[in-house]
Amino acid sequence: MLYVILVPLLPLLAALVIWIAGRHLRERSAKVGAPAVVAAFLGAVVTLVVVSSNGPINIRFYDLASGTSFRLPMGFYIDRLSAVMMVLITGVSTIIYLFSMRYMQQERGYSRFLALLAVTTFVLLCMVSSANLLMLFIFWQLLSWLLYLLSHNYSHPATMEGAFKTYTLLRVGDVVFLSGIVLAHALYGTLEFQELFIRATEAPITLSLWPGSSLEISAVTAITLLIFIGAMSKSAQFPMHMWLPDALYAPTPVHALLHAGIINAGGFLLNRLAPLYGLSPTTLHVVFGIGTLTAFLGACMMLIQNDIKKTLGYSTIGQMGYMIMECGLGAFALAIFHLIAHGLFKATVFLNCGNVIHKARQEPNFPPEDPAGEGGEFSRLTWLTGFITTLILPLIILLTTHGILRIPLGDSQGAVIFLFFTWVTSSQAILTLTRLRAVASWKVAAAMLLTLLVVVFTYLLAAVNFTYFLYPDPDEVAHYFQAAALPGWLFDCLVAATTVLITLGWFFIYANAHGRTIRIPQWVEMLRVRLYVLFMNRLYLDALYLRLGYGLMRAVHRLDKRYVGWLS
Amino acid sequence: MAVVMEFWTDPLPVLIATAFLGTVVGLFLWPRPRMLKIWMLLVTLAILLTLIAVSRRAGPAAGMPLLYLLPLAAFVSLLAQPAQEESRISWLMTLILLGLGLGFLVSERSLGLMLLVSLLALLSLLLYRYKKLTRPQLWWGVGIYGLGIGCLVVSLVAAPPISSVALLLTYSVLLPLFPFHGGYVAALAGLPGNVSAFLALLLPTMGFHGVLTLIPDAPVGIMHTLLILAVSGALYGSAKAMVQCRVVNTLAYASLAFFSILWWYLTTTLTYTPQAAVYLSAVGLVTGGLFLTWHSVQVRYGDVDVNRIGGLARPMPQFATLLSLLVMAAMGLPPFGVFSGYMGMLLNPSIALSGFLLVIMVTWLAASWYFLSLLQRILFGRHRQDIRYEDLRHTETASLLIILLILVAIGIVPARFFEAETPTHGYGTAMESNLWKK
Repeated sequence: MLYVILVPLLPLLAALVIWIAGRHLRERSAKVGAPAVVAAFLGAVVTLVVVSSNGPINIRFYDLASGTSFRLPMGFYIDRLSAVMMVLITGVSTIIYLFSMRYMQQERGYSRFLALLAVTTFVLLCMVSSANLLMLFIFWQLLSWLLYLLSHNYSHPATMEGAFKTYTLLRVGDVVFLSGIVLAHALYGTLEFQELFIRATEAPITLSLWPGSSLEISAVTAITLLIFIGAMSKSAQFPMHMWLPDALYAPTPVHALLHAGIINAGGFLLNRLAPLYGLSPTTLHVVFGIGTLTAFLGACMMLIQNDIKKTLGYSTIGQMGYMIMECGLGAFALAIFHLIAHGLFKATVFLNCGNVIHKARQEPNFPPEDPAGEGGEFSRLTWLTGFITTLILPLIILLTTHGILRIPLGDSQGAVIFLFFTWVTSSQAILTLTRLRAVASWKVAAAMLLTLLVVVFTYLLAAVNFTYFLYPDPDEVAHYFQAAALPGWLFDCLVAATTVLITLGWFFIYANAHGRTIRIPQWVEMLRVRLYVLFMNRLYLDALYLRLGYGLMRAVHRLDKRYVGWLS
Repeated sequence: MAVVMEFWTDPLPVLIATAFLGTVVGLFLWPRPRMLKIWMLLVTLAILLTLIAVSRRAGPAAGMPLLYLLPLAAFVSLLAQPAQEESRISWLMTLILLGLGLGFLVSERSLGLMLLVSLLALLSLLLYRYKKLTRPQLWWGVGIYGLGIGCLVVSLVAAPPISSVALLLTYSVLLPLFPFHGGYVAALAGLPGNVSAFLALLLPTMGFHGVLTLIPDAPVGIMHTLLILAVSGALYGSAKAMVQCRVVNTLAYASLAFFSILWWYLTTTLTYTPQAAVYLSAVGLVTGGLFLTWHSVQVRYGDVDVNRIGGLARPMPQFATLLSLLVMAAMGLPPFGVFSGYMGMLLNPSIALSGFLLVIMVTWLAASWYFLSLLQRILFGRHRQDIRYEDLRHTETASLLIILLILVAIGIVPARFFEAETPTHGYGTAMESNLWKK
């Protein structure tokens, strides 16, 4: 089984060779790196097959029995979750590496860039296959540093500032994550995943928030909340999302890697610690709240961007919010499914967006304007199709899911949210694709509805099987759903409110696009303008952070001059 | 023959004599700087090899890795220097300081304390001779060393517990503790590059050695006071490091903050642990490495403001790579020793969960801020067209690489170097005696 170590080691070896001999290799650096990354991908696929059939692989280079020994506990624990992530990481890395070979060829730091890409792949692979929390944290921190190195460009001041902010915010997350680790070790005496889960389950501990006070918190809640803040920083959750839009000056392949691989670290972390999170409903509710807020704000800010990369960046923030939200609802496997789908989709979009920008710069009339526009009269068929898409179809999906696929929707809010998401994205995609025009065509309408059904059910079926693949024990899945369950009325209200909001939104946009006027109260219009300005300025969080930083520095300077200077 | 026999039974005094003898012989090579430098390097290497041979014969012990590191640190700090006439005094001083430091660490108590007085006096003289600091900083530093000497004298004449308190004060001058850190900061910021790089490890090692003899039996009140001073020092050092204009000051205050974390750990656990030794060595080495790196800039472009010399990444790629790695180590990132030591300390079962832990975390976070800011200011931005840039020489590269390799080695397998159950030599003997009772 030791061959699995080669999967992370191959990219590392390639990086070392490129780093040492990069000057001599120059363009040939890619010929060293690419085969290594491809081989790592193949190795990851083989590992996935082996793990699926034979169970987890456990390799430790330390003695588990000698708990007091002072050494870095290096080892690999590869279960289905790790193996899936390894395939995703190596797959995306392979695509990005092959893309970068041509895309970055003329760049000054070509070899260095390829070496960094390979090191990042290595670090990501080690992180997802870590045998314990400490090892995971080691690679987690290295990832923060690599992100800084990948996203900075020392001849471009804006990039440097962005990279500095990226690292600072990630470091805040790292330190809070570390606090969670220290707390876990102090209370349970271990950082081995399985051991930690067992001890946390068997021995519930309550901590006093302030000595002598009656304010108390469950130890598991405290640990999971602290670790979640670490996950928030890596997965760009509100209010720690600020680094992601500022990292957009980095080369295109870095974006692809960032949005398809690195940013998934938070989702992976929550999944890896799912048994621990399953013990704390409070944390899961916080996770859900943060995820929802991030999804909403990310989507809102995405809508008002005028830069293709920023639009995609905020779209990622929104998607990550959705993923974290799924974790908060106990749908851990669905979150992984979501991040895989999003990763592949976003990597493709980012790798392609460079071409679009390039083309737009060369051709002033790109993209070509549609002379026909979207005007025209409504037809009955159009209304009918819209009605079926938005109301009848979701009902069919719900009934099928509940009756035929036997997914207990009443007990799993996560599954409902997933269905909801599937409905929104697929119908939106179809609506965007066909642009429900006034031209009434039964063929178009039927094709659209059929496609929508196929997409939704394929996605749903894949998600159900994937959940069973990652968490074969249905009781475990049910336990997570139960732990994360929001009060029924709250959940129903949330779903209903969002449905109404989305349906109204579609109605408004559709009518607007067809030249219809809808009377909107003045205060709503004012609110819309204010929100637009607010989101345009990214909720003024940049300014707030900047002011906080300057304020702190000014205070320290003043203190130094007035009182402490003499203690030099 | 008797001398040879004596050497094999207790070779350490001979090592100290070697350091002083090496200095005397070095005086004869004064007119030939290159030869002098080679001679100094050979002497430090000889001391190092002898120490290794001695430890192989005697078996592994807890105190030995710290002893190895001192000649090694002296070696790399000398290696990094260009063979210039102006550097000759600092080379000789490095060897003398090495001799005094080793002497303090391996000698009996009375002789050790005398050597310590000499070292503190020498540092005061050096500070006065170089006069690179502002007047208040200089006199504050000299004053703190004076306080250290005074306390040593008191410790020799007074009875316990006054003598122990006095000794603790002296050691807090060496292993910097707020508000007695002025001497350490002045030595690092005011002495030539290679001396300050060496002192960054030597002084804390000596202080650590001394503190370990006193802490296990210290009264609770003293421990609480030390704990509060340590936590205050961590915050103070971080805040001061953030607002410095001069790179050397930033580095000096940063190491104060880091060593305050060590003080926090010692006052919490009250014993010698390999984690503390790893942390001490790593912080000392990385601070020394950063001083050497900045000194290589000073040698080329003078003692300039960092904001006027930025943009070195492109014209000095080797320098940029090594500085980045050192900053990475200083920020406490794996796989370097600072991270291993820090994690080892935090995961020690004796550490109590308290509000102080939060301060320690904030100190750690602040380090990422000011070190990264420093890195960006030195390496990035537009490089100046009016300067003829020159990348690191082979000797400079080699010395920094040695430091990085040691940091990686003690970071990846810390236990291999430091995990021994019973401390030997000075540590053990003094810990047995009870210094706090009348």
